[in-house]
Amino acid sequence: MRLGIVRGRVVLSAALDSLRGTRLLVVEPVSARSLAEGRGEGGGTPLVVADHLAPHTGQMIGFVEGREAANPYWPGEAPVDAYCALIVTGVDFPPPDPAPAADEVLP
Amino acid sequence: MFLARIEGTITATTKHATLAGCRLLVGRRIAADGGVADEPVVLLDRLGAGRGSTVLVSTDGDLVRKWIGNTAPGRLSVVGIVDRVDGESVR
Repeated sequence: MRLGIVRGRVVLSAALDSLRGTRLLVVEPVSARSLAEGRGEGGGTPLVVADHLAPHTGQMIGFVEGREAANPYWPGEAPVDAYCALIVTGVDFPPPDPAPAADEVLP
Repeated sequence: MFLARIEGTITATTKHATLAGCRLLVGRRIAADGGVADEPVVLLDRLGAGRGSTVLVSTDGDLVRKWIGNTAPGRLSVVGIVDRVDGESVR
């Protein structure tokens, strides 16, 4: 599972029946630095993620990729390879190393 | 399978029903030179791995399905806590 920030939604005018009832989120994956800084930035290459949890734009989610992304549709099938498994409410992740103080910087 | 370093945890109030009660660790994959990947991954854990641990991660989604249910949207899980790695390339 990766982490990502919800940036928007995709609305389809026509779709397979198996996608009915599924929201489609535009999600920007989060780098370790962005996660530690906690400013709501992502940094990764955006992708579309299937969803049933309805996160808001700007919220962080955890999304599963690959064949397992279609597990929630079992015993049915759906052409889904990324799925929103959770909405993140708390992150305990260390901040990045602080920048050296001015008097520590070598000339 | 791959090795990862545990660097934190997340909590999620709203999640797929099968994930209720699962520990969610944030780890980074360890490369052959000992460095860690830039992008973190969320791991399902039932062994109690803590921050700073090196863990063995399985990408076997069937394991997760057997663990928490057929509809579980999960693939990466902690299957071991590493005591040591012998060899020159991975530390």
